[in-house]
Amino acid sequence: MTRTVHVQYFAALREQAGRSAETCETSAATPRDLYSDLRQRHGLALPEALLRVAINEEFCDWERPLADGDRVVFIPPVAGG
Amino acid sequence: MQPFTFSTGTLRPESFREALCDPAAGGYASFEGWVRDHNDGRRVRRLEYEAFEALAIKEGSRIVQQAIEKFGISRAACVHRVGDLAVGELAVWVGASAAHRQEAFAACRYIIDEVKHCVPIWKKEHYEDGDSGWVNCERCAEAADGRPHEGGVPHSHDGPRGATAPHLPQDYSRQVALPEVGQAGQARIRNASILVIGAGGLGAPALQYLAAAGVGRIGIVDGDGVEASNLHRQPIFGVADIGRPKAVAAADRLRDLNRDVRCEAIVADATAENIDALVGGYDVILECTDNLRAKFLVNDAVVRAGRPAFFASVYQYEGQLQAYLPRADWPCLRCVWPETPGDGMVGNCAEAGVLGPVPGTLGALQAMQALQFILGLGPEPARGLVVVDLLSLSTRSIRAARRAGCDHEVPAKHRASTQEPLEVSFASLAEARAAGFELVDIREAWERRFDRPAERIELHLPMSELLEGRIAFPERGRYLIVCAHGVRSLAIAERLRHQGRADVYSMRGGLAAL
Repeated sequence: MTRTVHVQYFAALREQAGRSAETCETSAATPRDLYSDLRQRHGLALPEALLRVAINEEFCDWERPLADGDRVVFIPPVAGG
Repeated sequence: MQPFTFSTGTLRPESFREALCDPAAGGYASFEGWVRDHNDGRRVRRLEYEAFEALAIKEGSRIVQQAIEKFGISRAACVHRVGDLAVGELAVWVGASAAHRQEAFAACRYIIDEVKHCVPIWKKEHYEDGDSGWVNCERCAEAADGRPHEGGVPHSHDGPRGATAPHLPQDYSRQVALPEVGQAGQARIRNASILVIGAGGLGAPALQYLAAAGVGRIGIVDGDGVEASNLHRQPIFGVADIGRPKAVAAADRLRDLNRDVRCEAIVADATAENIDALVGGYDVILECTDNLRAKFLVNDAVVRAGRPAFFASVYQYEGQLQAYLPRADWPCLRCVWPETPGDGMVGNCAEAGVLGPVPGTLGALQAMQALQFILGLGPEPARGLVVVDLLSLSTRSIRAARRAGCDHEVPAKHRASTQEPLEVSFASLAEARAAGFELVDIREAWERRFDRPAERIELHLPMSELLEGRIAFPERGRYLIVCAHGVRSLAIAERLRHQGRADVYSMRGGLAAL
C-alpha cells in the first residue's frame, strides 16, 4: 500500500536534500522507514538519532504510523547565533 | 513646600520638618547627605554641585510625588544644594511624614535613592592636592563599575561623556501609548531584570531593544572579544570595538542608548560552575549563544531555578525559537531534543555561514517574547518549537509535550556529569600519551590523509560511524578524544559522559592547537 505524504526539510537537511519540501508516494509505514528511504535517495548525512520528526505540526516518535496526506517534517537542532 | 527644590544657601532642616507636619501623620523620617572629606582614596577639600535645574526640578518632583503615592504617606519633600560646599555641610535633605514609621522610612529611602539615580546633578570634587574632577552621578558610576559580579572586568567611563552629558529623561511615550502598556506596563518593564547569555548575532538586537524599552537591569554574559567577522551580524559593535570584551562593549552601547538601565557586564562564558548563580539573579533569561552545549546548560539551570527563558538559534536562512515557562506541564529543551546532540554534529555560523538579518530577526523576536511575558500580553508562547524561514517568510509552530522521563525531572543528573572537566590541553600527542591517555581520532577518513607523523593516532573511530552505532567506543580505558579543532571531540566526550562514562576527555583545540 502506498501513501502520499508531504515532506519538509529544515536546516542542514534542506541543504543536503537540495530542496525544502517535496511530495512523496511511499510504501513506508512509519517516519523511520520513510527517512531511511529518503536518506538513501538524497544522500542525507544526518543519522535519525540527531533529528526529530513531526507529523502535522506535532512532534511524534519514529514509529507512529503514517497516514495518507500527512505533513512530515524532519528537523535537526540548530545552534548558530 | 515644593516637593523638590534647590538651594544656594545652607540647608536648615528644622524649617523643612515643620512643613511636613500633618495631623494624620504618626511620625516623620528624614535623611541628610553630608559632604565627606574623602572619596575613592583621595582627600576632598570642598565640593561643587551643578544641576540642570529646570529638568532636575521636574524629575525630582516626579520622584517625590511617586513616593507619596507608592507608600501612601502624608507628605514628603527633598531639597538639594547647588554651588560651593565645604566638608561637613549638608548637601541634600529628604523628609517624609506618614501614619506609620515603616512607610516614612521606606519613602525617605526611595526618594534619596531615586534622586541620586535619576536627577541631573553633577558633583565636582576639589582635592587637597589642588586637583579637581567631576564625579559621575551615581547612575553613571554604578553602571560603569561598582557592582561586584563574577568574571566582570573593572571598567570606567574614560571620556567626558558620562560625566558631563545631562540626563534627559528617557522618552517612552510611543510604547506607553499602547493601551496594553501604559504607565503600569512601563513600570513592570522598569522593575524587570533580564539576563542575556551571548552578545552575538541574537544578543545584539535583543539587548538593544530591551535596553531601549527601559528594562531596569540587564546582565550580559559573554566571554569572547569582538572580532571583525562578527560585525556583519552584530551591529551593536563598531570597528573601534574589535578586540574589546563583547560584554563590556555591549554594556557601553546600552548605557549610551538608555541611562535608566543598569547594565551588568559579565566577561565569562556560561559554565556549569557559574550558571546557577547567573540565572538565579534575574527574572527572565534570554539564551542567545551559538552552541548547543550552552543551550542545554542554560536549559537545565532555568528548569532548576524555575525561570522563564526564551531560546533561539539560527542556521543559514532559518531560525528556531523555543520558550520555556516554569510550569509543571511545560516542555523544556530536553523534552524536544532527548538525544542531547553535541556541537559539531550540527552547523554553527562559522561553519555554515549566516546572513546578518537572520539572527537579527530571531534576536528581536526573543526581545519581543520577553517584553510580552513581562507585560503579561497574551497569547502565551507556543509549547515546542517555532521554525522561522527568512527566505519564504514563513513560520511553522511544531507542538511538543512534556516528555515523561525527561532529564529535566532530575536535572542534578546532568549537572553532575558536567562537573568533571571535559577538556584537557596538551602541547603534543606524545605529552598526552605520557600523561596516561589512550588517544582516539574521531575525524573522518579523508581528514587523516595529510597528517604529519607527529599527528598520527592509531585508534581511528570516525564520528559518523560512532553516531550511527556501526562501531562502539571501547568500554574500558582512559581516553583522550581528538578531532581537528576540538569541537566534535567535545561533543562525543560529552555524549559519552552523559551515557555514564567518567574517564573520557576531549583534547582542547584539537590537532590545530598542537
